[in-house]
Amino acid sequence: MAAVKETVETVAALEKYEHGFSTDIDQEFAPKGLSEDIVRFISAKKDEPEWMLEWRLEAYRRWLAMDEPDWAKVSYPPIDYQDTYYYAAPKTKEGPKSLDEVDPELLAVYEKLGIPLKEQAVLAGVEGAPRYAVDAVFDSVSVVTTFKKELAQAGVIFCSMSEAIREHPELVRQYLGSVVPTSDNYFACLNSAVFSDGSFVYVPPGVRCPMELSTYFRINAKDSGQFERTLIIADKGAYVSYLEGCTAPMRDENQLHAAVVELVLLNDAEIKYSTVQNWYPGDPETGKGGIYNFVTKRADCRGDRSKVSWTQVETGSAITWKYPSCVLRGEGSSGEFYSIAVTNGHQQADTGTKMIHLGANTRSRIVAKGISAGKSTSTYRGLVSAHPKAKGARNFTQCDSLLIGKDCAAHTVPYIEARNGQSVFEHEATTTRLSDDQLFYCQQRGLSEEESVALLVNGFVKDVLQQLPMEFAVEAQKLVAISLEGSVG
Amino acid sequence: MTLSTALKTGDLSALPSRRDEDWRWTDLRGLLKVLPPAAPAHDGAVPAGPFASLADAETVFVNGRRVTASDAASGVVALRFVALADKAAQGASHTLVVKPGESLVLLESHEGCAAGYVSDVTLDIAVGEGASLERIVLVEDEAEAVNVVTADVALAPGARFVQTILTSGARRQRIETRVRHPGAHAEVRLDGAYLLDAQRHADLTSVVTHGGFDGVTSQLTKGMVTDQARGVFQGRIVVEKGADQTDARMGHHALILSDKAEIDAKPELLIFADDVSCAHGNTIGALDDEVLFYAKQRGIPEAEAKAMLTAAFVGEVIDRIQHEGARDAAAAWVARKLGSDA
Repeated sequence: MAAVKETVETVAALEKYEHGFSTDIDQEFAPKGLSEDIVRFISAKKDEPEWMLEWRLEAYRRWLAMDEPDWAKVSYPPIDYQDTYYYAAPKTKEGPKSLDEVDPELLAVYEKLGIPLKEQAVLAGVEGAPRYAVDAVFDSVSVVTTFKKELAQAGVIFCSMSEAIREHPELVRQYLGSVVPTSDNYFACLNSAVFSDGSFVYVPPGVRCPMELSTYFRINAKDSGQFERTLIIADKGAYVSYLEGCTAPMRDENQLHAAVVELVLLNDAEIKYSTVQNWYPGDPETGKGGIYNFVTKRADCRGDRSKVSWTQVETGSAITWKYPSCVLRGEGSSGEFYSIAVTNGHQQADTGTKMIHLGANTRSRIVAKGISAGKSTSTYRGLVSAHPKAKGARNFTQCDSLLIGKDCAAHTVPYIEARNGQSVFEHEATTTRLSDDQLFYCQQRGLSEEESVALLVNGFVKDVLQQLPMEFAVEAQKLVAISLEGSVG
Repeated sequence: MTLSTALKTGDLSALPSRRDEDWRWTDLRGLLKVLPPAAPAHDGAVPAGPFASLADAETVFVNGRRVTASDAASGVVALRFVALADKAAQGASHTLVVKPGESLVLLESHEGCAAGYVSDVTLDIAVGEGASLERIVLVEDEAEAVNVVTADVALAPGARFVQTILTSGARRQRIETRVRHPGAHAEVRLDGAYLLDAQRHADLTSVVTHGGFDGVTSQLTKGMVTDQARGVFQGRIVVEKGADQTDARMGHHALILSDKAEIDAKPELLIFADDVSCAHGNTIGALDDEVLFYAKQRGIPEAEAKAMLTAAFVGEVIDRIQHEGARDAAAAWVARKLGSDA
């Protein structure tokens, strides 16, 4: 019961959103609002080549002609896109060459968040503990990327997107927008026009990335949006595991986060992408504030036998609109999606996945667990489709929803499209509340009501937690318990 | 956005299209570029319906006009919609009330005895307190026909409504059932079977809205598509706030027997109450190769083995039909469709 006890203690100690502090740091902003000039401003700030600016401007023009999607089961007041800062960055003299040159205030932020940016600090940790390289993105810019040298020795490129555009333009030009085209959807299009930073990873053929890579996204500036773009390319036979974490200060205003993540997998490549999303969810009582998380994530399994695995733990954000997808193009390629979506207070989450089977003998697996408490709404929305050429395609989907309390809602909206006679699709979904019998049993064995709920919920999401890298699994388990705090009784 | 409005007003833009979420797989606007003229009245003889020997009374619509009416609201009643005019449009609506405590078996048939017609049927059904209705719907449309059948069913507390739809599709066909479920010990069973070949299309759509405490819904739809046919299943179960103790199960299972056939499914659960038990399952696949091999190895020709296995697969739905005569008629229909009745 140690884990449960620890969870309860953590809950008691934290009371509310742990990462809700804001940092008073010298920042520079682009003027508020969105126009071609702002797009040019961002591009100039990043010292980008002409082709990149053209790409952004084209996206901006397309965005102007698009309508905001309204099909998701989420409701929010209209967003004023002119009332946001599209660029906010901590002031620095020149781009910091090493960690020593990074503003100590910034380092303090990451220390407070528990993100190890100092390589030696990581090395000095427990012997044999897994190491991971971090790209820290603060508002619109990447402040530091660790372990770059060591990764370079293995041939792995891990850097910020801005740096990749400067240093590896051939790779960026080849792959950027090739998985999520600029006009894919409203938010992806907006991102294409104004994205400021994000991570870039290239793993060369046959290389198994020597450590976990991770990016930590932090929104700090008031009234700003974060628009990051991540591009990961796993060349033939390469492997990489990538983690992503996100937090933001507690503010009464909603802030927009519209990211795009593109994964490209060539023959026999494998990418494991894990997300622990803990943006500020808004005030649990009034629903005021919180992040609007409108994200487009897609993996393109171009190569035969390539494999992609998305694992996400979604506990934050006022609104989540997110469907990490797999395009299974290569013969024998496979996609996995493991998700836990926890909503409490006034949160709304509409999330799920798309498995698009285009190649023969492609396989996919979806395990989605939704937990709704308080006055929140959680929707699983997913598409599984098999093209006529996807002979031998297989899918297994399991969606379970757990309801805690009278005022929450849980929806399951799966779409299944089978277009050939040699594919097998299985889908099952359940919606229930925590079993009275199980709760009674736990309490009768001496656990408090809150401990019992934590234990049962941990059991409910275990299938997904198991897919996370070890240290994140422990973190995620605590996060789930914290997010549900106050939902009992 | 209905075919019925389009037929009444002649306005093609009233037709539902792929852009309407609930019609994404059954596009009428893309198909119907002109609306055919209204079907003329028919004054000749009307052929006997498929349930002629089972019903005590019958109500018959021919070309959208009622020609025979029965006011019987208990026992076994046939309700027939017969299309006898080629390339003509017909619209019909009918109201049925099952009084409290009464019990009715409704044998409904849609008989396409003409070519390329466009038909719209709307039914308003009310089942009184403690009453029981078993509705068997047999839809045999012509291959080029367009047919939309919509039933709105309101149940009183303690009512029982069971339904089985059997269809072989049409050029485009939608059979929609919307049930207002009051909870309160009322019970709903919604079943369906579709057997589609050539370029036929069938869309079985249902919406069950649980509005009150303690309701039961059980749904089982099975289907088979072959050639270039397309089967659509959309099932939505809504559990409104306060509809606790709802127990709802939905299953859709289908076989695709050719590489150009298609199945689209959307089993939805929208839950606004917490003390519920809801589940759905959906499977799509081909016949088991090993079982087929076994059958062939026992000397059964492949076509016959496939028909046998498909009949057994769909048989689960047929077996749930309560009225014995209707159950036999349904089994005979399956055998005829699969060509295994010889």
